Amino acid sequence: MPLLRWLPLALLTLAAFWLRTHDLARRPMHADEANQAVKLGELLDAGRYAFDPRDHHGPTLYYAALPVAWLRGESSLASLTEGTVRLVPALFGTLTVLLVAALAAPLGRWPALAAAALVATAPPAVYYSRYFIQETLLVTWVLGAILAVRTWWRTGLTRWALAAGVCAGCAQSTKASAPLFLAAGLLALWVARDGTPLTRRPGHDLAFALGATVLAAALLYSSFGTNLHGLRDALTVYTHAATRFGGEAAATGHEKPWWYYLRIFGWHREGGLLWHQLAWSALAVAGALVAVCRRDAWIRGAAIYTLLIATAFSLFAYKTPWHAVHFVPGLAIVAAGALAAIARLRTGRLVALAFALITVATLVQQAWRAAFLRPADPRNPYAYVHSSPDVLKYRPLADAARQAFPGQPIRVISEEYWPLPWYFRGLKDVGYYIETPMDCDGALLVVSPNMVEAVRATLKEHYDESILGLRPGVLCIVMQRERGPAGAREPVANQPR
Amino acid sequence: MLPRQFTVVLSALALAASAVAADTPLKVEYPKPLFAGTPRPISLANLEPAGIKRPDLMVPAGTTLLSKGKKVTSSDALPVIGELSFITDGDKTGIDGAYVELGPNTQWVQVDLGASAKVAAVAVWHFHSQARVYHDVVIQVSDDAEFKKGVTTIFNTDDDNSSKLGKGSDKSYVETNNGRVVEGKGAVGRYVRLYSNGNTSDELNHYCEVEVFGALK
Repeated sequence: MPLLRWLPLALLTLAAFWLRTHDLARRPMHADEANQAVKLGELLDAGRYAFDPRDHHGPTLYYAALPVAWLRGESSLASLTEGTVRLVPALFGTLTVLLVAALAAPLGRWPALAAAALVATAPPAVYYSRYFIQETLLVTWVLGAILAVRTWWRTGLTRWALAAGVCAGCAQSTKASAPLFLAAGLLALWVARDGTPLTRRPGHDLAFALGATVLAAALLYSSFGTNLHGLRDALTVYTHAATRFGGEAAATGHEKPWWYYLRIFGWHREGGLLWHQLAWSALAVAGALVAVCRRDAWIRGAAIYTLLIATAFSLFAYKTPWHAVHFVPGLAIVAAGALAAIARLRTGRLVALAFALITVATLVQQAWRAAFLRPADPRNPYAYVHSSPDVLKYRPLADAARQAFPGQPIRVISEEYWPLPWYFRGLKDVGYYIETPMDCDGALLVVSPNMVEAVRATLKEHYDESILGLRPGVLCIVMQRERGPAGAREPVANQPR
Repeated sequence: MLPRQFTVVLSALALAASAVAADTPLKVEYPKPLFAGTPRPISLANLEPAGIKRPDLMVPAGTTLLSKGKKVTSSDALPVIGELSFITDGDKTGIDGAYVELGPNTQWVQVDLGASAKVAAVAVWHFHSQARVYHDVVIQVSDDAEFKKGVTTIFNTDDDNSSKLGKGSDKSYVETNNGRVVEGKGAVGRYVRLYSNGNTSDELNHYCEVEVFGALK
């Protein structure tokens, strides 16, 4: 029955959706998430968006989040919630599971399901599907483009060429690194091709695809025609990138050794916690051997795609862990290829099933630890320079200070202050200063240790001081204005009881 | 009988000797620093400056380390990382495998000295491989294992009473390899309990080592 045929994939998709959406608001907002969420809030508040080629990625994330926010009744920055913004990558991440199942279909029904299960439970995929940044969306658009090209090749229908173009345009509008993935995907498809494309008008279809790419990207970068400068900026982004990452550029602080991603997909122990994806990686290596030995074009294509991506990211000194999510689909398909090869052996089905279950179980355990048990732990390899849980304490202090001293400003005087603008959203009279202002007094001051002496020198009122973290190793001094006469503090209970 | 003047002189000498004996500096062995980079300099009214050597704590002569190898209990009886015995095992290096990690929110560890003692000092190392401040650090001494009666608080940085142990006025401090050496204030008890409520990097509570110095009664 068709229902029973699709039931396993439906259940798997539901499980993937749950892993990506359960308790979404629990983790504190990372500085990058907060920055992007505030940008989305500005789009909600003002109805305007202008692409910034210097410090931000493309517009797709914000426009994709708009309907989600509207549907959840959040129409302003003040009303926006963590759950809403993170639901966007969660939905894309769930769609990725289905796309991988479709892309792995040539391996057979059960290997395709295994590939989907690996993506559904892979720690990088789960973690960054719950993270309001562009990476998961980029993976989805690229896989969509690859699948559409493959379907066009096999069916010859122009609409698939159009779909591929739209996906490629959206990928480009998501992040400027999209051409790398699209080129790798096309090369992989070329390696895995069977015969010639069925279309009789390849030039016509190619023109449609390119037109759709340009149109989709132009619409998004120009903010749907309201910011034509965005078209120019979409091209200058590469100039800015060359300035930032070129040979003459200063270190960004994100430089890491070439084996950084190998460690993520291998194993390492940090602070007593073991992080690994060994079972999956071993299956993927076996799958790559299968691709070489059995001349399986489809697995070989997936292996080449993964190898190209891994090589490019490993050679590039700038490394962040969210790039690991791009390795996931290729590794899953290659590993599924190994399972398919094992299943073809005598009594191999049970062995393949056992391998699949063990691998998925280890991935679930690691994903659970990364996304739920220790989502902001400095030892979590995916929680990169993550905000500490202390950031959740700033807003209650600000609310209390504002209640005690209505009309008085809240001042954040610090070289670094993200994600505080997210947590102070909706509050009026909040100022952010990277240099000490003339007048520092206010209802609440959040001051960096480097600037606290200069701030104290300007203060006319009395403040109680305490310390909160911003992220590991970065502290802020929180100065709460004293209530009542200066010096009339509550007696301390630091005496024998 | 000795002349009265001679008795007075002898008494004065004895008093002076006892005063001199009380001025013994506490000997604490500090582990090597583990900061990977230079910690941010912090100057705060309620925070001790980092990187400045604290003056020696003067303790009565005859003060010894009482806690080495003693039994430790905790509000988190089954730590995910490390064991409670690490807290009194003498290893304060702070490296992986040398500290115990307790769960989030307010947690305590308790050292059983085996007998009531006059506590001269308590030294604590929470975690010193990163610049972080532990919230609401409270140290108490009692003869009651439940800490319901006869409790003496000798250190308290909980400036907003969020741990519900009373508001404290001691300064918070950045964890370093020097840990924190707290004066015992003459507190007497068999048990020493240390509280904390997460830290500025995560919501968990850590201990490399706790040392209790004093004299058994």
